Formats: sequence, C-alpha cells, structure tokens
Amino acid sequence: MNRIISRVIFAVTSVIFALLFLAPLGTVIQGGFWVNGTFTLRYLGGVFQNPIYSEGLFNSLLLAIGTTTLVTLIAVPLAWLTNKYEFPGKKWVSGLILVPMILPPFVGAIGFQQILGPYGGLNALLGLGPVDWLGHAQYWGVISLQALSLYPIMYLNANAALANIDPAMEEAAANLGCKGFTKFRRITLPLMMPGLFAGGTIVFIWSFTELGTPLILNYTKCASVQVFDALKEIGSNPFPYALVFVMLACSVTLYAIGKFAFGGHAYAMQSKAATVSNTVTVRGVRGLLVLLPFALVILVALTPHLGVIATSLAKPGSWYQSIAPLQLTVENYAEALGHEMTVSSIRNSLLYSSLAVAFNAVLGIAIAFVVVRSDIRGRGILDALAMLPLAVPGLVMAFGYLAISANLSNTDWVKDSVFWQNLLDVRTNPTLFLVVAYSIRRLPYMVRSAVAGLQQTSVTLEEAAANLGAGFLTTLRRITVPLITANLIAGALLAFAFSMLEVSDSLMLAQRSDYYPITKTIYELFHLIGTGQYIASALGVWAMAFLAVTIVGASLILGKKLGAIFRA
Amino acid sequence: MAVAVRLDTVTKRFGDLTVVDRITLTIEPGELFFLLGPSGCGKTTLLRSIAGFYIPEHGAIRIGDRDVTRLAPDERDTGMVFQSYALWPHMTVAQNVAFGLELRKISKAEIDQRVAEALAMVKMSDRAQYKPNQLSGGQQQRVALARALVIRPQCLLLDEPLSNLDAKLRLDMRTEIRRICKQAGLTAIYVTHDQKEALSIADRMAILDKGIIQQCGSPEEVYRRPVNRFVANFIGETNFIEGRVLSVDDGQATLDTPIGRVVSTALPREPLRPNQAITLSLRPEVIHAGTEPKDPTNVFRGAAHDTVYLGEMAQHLINVPVPGAQDVVLKVFELNPKMVTHDDEVKDVQFWFRPGNAVVLTG
Repeated sequence: MNRIISRVIFAVTSVIFALLFLAPLGTVIQGGFWVNGTFTLRYLGGVFQNPIYSEGLFNSLLLAIGTTTLVTLIAVPLAWLTNKYEFPGKKWVSGLILVPMILPPFVGAIGFQQILGPYGGLNALLGLGPVDWLGHAQYWGVISLQALSLYPIMYLNANAALANIDPAMEEAAANLGCKGFTKFRRITLPLMMPGLFAGGTIVFIWSFTELGTPLILNYTKCASVQVFDALKEIGSNPFPYALVFVMLACSVTLYAIGKFAFGGHAYAMQSKAATVSNTVTVRGVRGLLVLLPFALVILVALTPHLGVIATSLAKPGSWYQSIAPLQLTVENYAEALGHEMTVSSIRNSLLYSSLAVAFNAVLGIAIAFVVVRSDIRGRGILDALAMLPLAVPGLVMAFGYLAISANLSNTDWVKDSVFWQNLLDVRTNPTLFLVVAYSIRRLPYMVRSAVAGLQQTSVTLEEAAANLGAGFLTTLRRITVPLITANLIAGALLAFAFSMLEVSDSLMLAQRSDYYPITKTIYELFHLIGTGQYIASALGVWAMAFLAVTIVGASLILGKKLGAIFRA
Repeated sequence: MAVAVRLDTVTKRFGDLTVVDRITLTIEPGELFFLLGPSGCGKTTLLRSIAGFYIPEHGAIRIGDRDVTRLAPDERDTGMVFQSYALWPHMTVAQNVAFGLELRKISKAEIDQRVAEALAMVKMSDRAQYKPNQLSGGQQQRVALARALVIRPQCLLLDEPLSNLDAKLRLDMRTEIRRICKQAGLTAIYVTHDQKEALSIADRMAILDKGIIQQCGSPEEVYRRPVNRFVANFIGETNFIEGRVLSVDDGQATLDTPIGRVVSTALPREPLRPNQAITLSLRPEVIHAGTEPKDPTNVFRGAAHDTVYLGEMAQHLINVPVPGAQDVVLKVFELNPKMVTHDDEVKDVQFWFRPGNAVVLTG
C-alpha cells in the first residue's frame, strides 16, 4: 500500500475520531472538574458525599454485578452444552437462543409488566390476588429483564471461546486422568476465560449504564436515571458531569483490566485443532434432557416479547386481571402507523441510521485499511481507540454530545444563524448529533468486520493487482472491496440494526417530537394516558420484526463468526 | 522484446536487519535467472524490491533503460507469479487473466484474443469460465502464469511458484515454465530454495546467503566449482577436508591433509601461498571406491562400512585412519554398486579421485 496514501488516511481518520469521540469525553471531564475556569475536585468528591448520588452509583453497580452474574449463569452452561453435545433440535435452539437480542430491554419491560404486574397475566393464571412480582423488588425486575436480553452476547462469546479450544487440550487432561467437572474447572474454564471476560465486560458496561429499562420500570434510584433527570441543568450544574465521569472511569477501568489481564488473545492455541471436535451425539430421553435448559431459557427470555406482542394485539383496557387479553384487535397497529409521531419517527430513524451507517462504513474501512495494510507506527493505537466506544457507555457519550451542543448553542455565531442552529443545537435539530452518536458507538462493529475481512484476504491478491498496473483506488474498487463485501454487509447490517434501536442517545439528544427516532417515540407513547402502552407495543413489534430480519441476515452472511462482532 | 535487468548495490533493511546487502547483478535479456538460497537469505526480498513492493534504502534497479528504483509496483511493467498464486477468488479464470489488459485500455476484441492465446499457452483454454477455487493447485499455477504473461511484461518474476505443488507436478511444471519463457523470449527471475529446480532449468543462477551473493554462474559452474564452503555445502552434497598448501606449480597444488598428500587442479581464482590453510571439497560421486585407479595421483585406503543400498547406487561411509587423531569419514556414492557390505561388516578398500575434482576452497 502506498505510504503517502496510508499516512493521509491515518491522519484524517485520527482527526475525525478524536473530534467525534474524544471531544465529548473531554467535555464531560471538563464540565466536572473545571468550574468557572478553575480546577476543582469538589464535585467529584460531592458525588460520593451526596447520599442520593452515591446511592444511585451503588445501585447501578449492583445492577451491573447482578446482571453480569445472571448472564454468566445462563450463558456459560448453554454454551458448554452446545459445544459438548449433538442433540435433536440443536440447529433450531441455537438460532432461537439469540432472538432476545432483537428487542431493546426497555420495550420488553412493557410486556413484562403486563405479565408480572399486580393485575397481570401470571397472577390471573395462578389465581392469586394483586401480588406485585416486580413490586418493591424492582431491582430484580431490572436485572432479570436486562439479563434476559443481554445473555446472547455472553453466549456468543463463550461459544466462540469454547470452539476455539483445541480438543487435544481436553484430551491431554483426560489422558492424565482428569475428568468431569475437574476437567472443566482446571482446563476448559481457564482457557475460555479471555472470551468470558470480553463478553462479561460488554454486558457489565451495558447494564451499568442502561437507561431505558430502569426508566420504564420506574427504578429511579440509579445513576443513569439521575443523569437523565439532571439533563435540564446541563448548563449550570457540574454534579451530573462528575457523576457521568465516575461512570466513565468505572467502565474504562474494567475494559482496561480485561485488555491487560488477557491481552486480547492470551491463550493463543498453538495449533489449529487437528482433530474434529469431540461432540457427543445424544438421542431420546438424554437428548431431551440436554434440550430442556435451552427450551426453558428461550421460553423465559421470550416472555417480555410475547407480552409485548400480546399487548399490541389487546384492545385497550381488555388485559386487566386476566391471563391474556380478553379482546383482540389490530387497531393498535393501524393507530400506531397512523399516529403522526410514529410515521415521522420511522422516517427519522431510517434517515439517522442510514446516514450513520454510510459514515461508519467509510470510516470503518479506512481505519481497517490502515490497521491491517499499513506499517505506520501508531496504527495499533488507532485500532485500540476504534474499539473504545465499546468501553464507553452510550449514556456518557450522549451526555457529552449534549454538553457540546449546549456549549455551542450559547455562542453568538450559532444564536445568530439559523443554519448553525439547525446543525449544532439539538433543541432545534438533533440530526447531526444523532447521526454522529449512532455512528461512533457502532464503529467497533464496522471496524471489526472490515479488519476480519482484510485479514482473511491475502495481501498478495492486492499485490498481484498492483503488479499488473492497478493503482491504489483501482485495487480498492476492483479487488479489495469485492473480496470483503460479505464482512462489510454484515457489519453494516448490525450497525444499522443497533442504530435503529439505540436508546440512550435517542432519549437524550432528540428533544423535539418531529425529530424523535423510534425508540424515543415508543418511550413517549408509553407515557400517554390510556392507549399509550398498546400503541407503544405495536410499534415495538414492528421494531422487533425489523431487527429480526437484519440480524438473521447478518448471521446468514457471517455464519458462525457472528460472535466475533460482540467481542471487545 | 526482452530487456536486461540491472541491480546496482541494492540494499534493503528492515529495522536494524540488513536483508539485502549491496547486491550488484546484471540479468541478460531473455535469460532465465535463478535466485537460490536458504530461507531468510534475502532472495524473496530482492525479488519484491524488483517488483516494487519494497523500496531499497540504497542502490538502483533498472529494467531495460528505465530506472524503476522508486516507482510504484503498478508502474513497473513486471509480471509476477506469486507463491500462493494470488488468483482473485471473485473472478473467473478469464477475468483474472484479462484484468491486466483492461487496465492497459486495450480493446475488448484484442483482450479476448490475447486471453485465449495466453490460456492456450498454459493449456487451460477449457477452464476459462471456472472460478479459481474449482481448480487444482497445478491448474491455478498455470492460470497465475498466464495472468503474468498476458500483459507481455518486460520481465517475469516468479516467487517460489512450484513450492505448493506435489513432487510429480513440480517436475512437469518446471520444464513447462522454461518452455514458456523461452517461447515468449522473456527475461525471467525465478526465486526458489529448491536446488534441483535451479540446476535443471536455469541459464544462470545466483546463490544468496545473509543478503549477499555468494556465487553467480551457470548451474554447471556453481555445482562443479563452488567458490566457498557455503555454496559447496548448499548445492549438492560434499565432503570437507581441512588442509594446508605444500606447493603450487602451474595450476596444480599439492596439499597436506589428514588423509595424506592430495593433488588438485581445481584451484581458486586468487593465487595460493605455500602453507596457507584451505578446505578441500570432494563430492561423494567423484570418489571411486573398490575399482582399479585410472589415475594414480590421489589413491588412498580406508574401511568401508554402513552401506545404504539404493538400487541404482549405493552410499558408503569410508573411515580413513589418521595417526594421532580421529578418523576422517568420507561419504562416497557408487553407481551400479557391486561393493555392498551388510550390517556391521567392514571392508578394507582402495579409493581414488581425479585432481580436477578435488576443489580447493579458501573461504
């Protein structure tokens, strides 16, 4: 690859990345530590002294620990069973097990309440009075909802980690007389640890800062909701900045520990597995026994979704103290699509996500190219930086963007110009900030996909083109991009799907109803008195169907490599 | 039209490591030239520098009358055959071959005609619409060759083109490559670590080690008259005997060695001085054992043992006793073997070699 071209790409991508990713973080840090031009630790200390903030942080930490533990308990045994046994229906359940990903947990919360609430389906089924299963133990409601939608990330990681272990490792242990659980504990588990930690980190950071689920379940005593509530004071109060900084610091520290402790691929297998993996085929009753845990997990995990679907089909008011809705209707769908806010939100989400993915694709390919194909010093740093959005909670990023927008819209040149207001003031038009936020947060998926594609593509294929007289752009267009198309499509699909259902940025940055994306509209509809939750559910079902199609598409293209995309 | 390739003190470093060290070399027009050496000797680096994938820190590379030292790969007009073939999997055989012609803005009709010719030349016409992954290794190799040849490059570069093929195919393909190169009248530079490939089809070859050309010459020159221990040892098998010069007279030297006095007429270019330390290189096939000497100059006795019988020949070890020191052990090939020992049997034999086959090395 031409040196000058790669230097230019390196410089441009670094600058763009610094501007769009590091600037909001810098604004957060500045806002918490520099007040009226002087450096102070008063607000950072204040966060820990203020009983409300420290309780919120503590609760968020508990949420993250609880969710991650639950996710591990669900995902690791399932992954182990998947790798160990060949059982009837395996193809089906290993696909279905990923389905919960297709719904943001906060939408599931609506269905969850319909089933587990005091006047919901479960109590009616059991013939109980108004027992609130979520009740004051909202904590359990939040972590179980989060765990039920996040465990696929862990499952994919654990699965990939297990599949990567050379069967000879376990065979060698067995040969020396080690078997059963001891073999798992002493050999298998340590070998899959990097994968588990990678998946665990993402789940932890995600649940630590999750905003939608606690909001819907009305669990207000956690840091993310406190930050959301403090947004109105973003111009004047340094406390939310300091609070966001603490969340950022926790997440980045955890991510860094994972990186340093496991160095990405600490236990590189010395040989590619020489033997075919030693799966055991089980049939009949034993086969059903293996199948059972999968079926249970899928059933429980899909409860919120079923609740959402049922709600969307229920005639408003007809699902009250009954197992299922008493009267069914499709009017909610008609109303959801007819509602002014809904139509514009679908259009908005499509616009934001498409722009974000297009921007992402260009930036992602450029970064991947420099990382894989150039010998520039510092390309490793760019690679690591491009993965950092996984370590930085969406809430923190959204807060940073909001702060930047608030700062900029106070300047005279923005105040005096409609053009700049439309571009930079989210209160006027959040398009630019939403596109940037969506795109930067999904950049890791795109970069990983493109890097994987380039690494699988031998550089001699490009050299052969250069040798025959093709210049840089011709080679890129005729050889490189066609060869990595599958990876690019998969990465773009995922980035698109996750952008469509993004929560934190959407809730925080979209402030005018005509610019609301789908998720914010669902959130707002939910709060409408009377029919709100039914219409919100109908829109949620639409979103589920949409995400299901894209994720199935991506997994068909990527095959088993889907897990690699969720690894930090 | 074939052109010469000239390298002038070409030097390539990776960090502190000098991989190609001041190599100066001229490859004549139409010549099939081999770069031969063990892995890590710098041969591939040198080839990639000629192709433009590396820019040397020092020196100049000329193809014909063009100085290409700093040109990008796509401006050099070389045709390269990669070790892994590097056929583009998303294009058919015909599309792969046509690619270089399309970039040269050649008319569609002419492209079709030249692609057909090139595929005919490598006997792949019936596979034009296949994808590369539907072809065997040998077929892919032919397509890679056609793709490099079809642009009529000024010079053809081959990077271990046969190393991924099985032994039988390798034999067929190497004569095939020579036929095609000579038929097209191309200047070709061929990198390999396989001495049989080089000896069998090269016009000339350069032996590289540690980034330096150790010897450059025709296969016969390099094999029969290696200039130093590295070359003698790398090409073929040999026996080394340390010794000293007793006297030099008119292209003939008498040497003092542990096995006795040896007379040699295969002397190095630089004159020898009496009492100078030298190494004698004796190929196993030039030592004749168990037959009547046809030349009485260098005749010795030893104990033959550990015979390995191979049918058309036998390999013996002969121990030559040295008073007050360890025996010298010589490896000897006997063609159409008669003198076969079994197991622990030891046979006292007489052996001899011609002065012209006893190569004196000073390096």
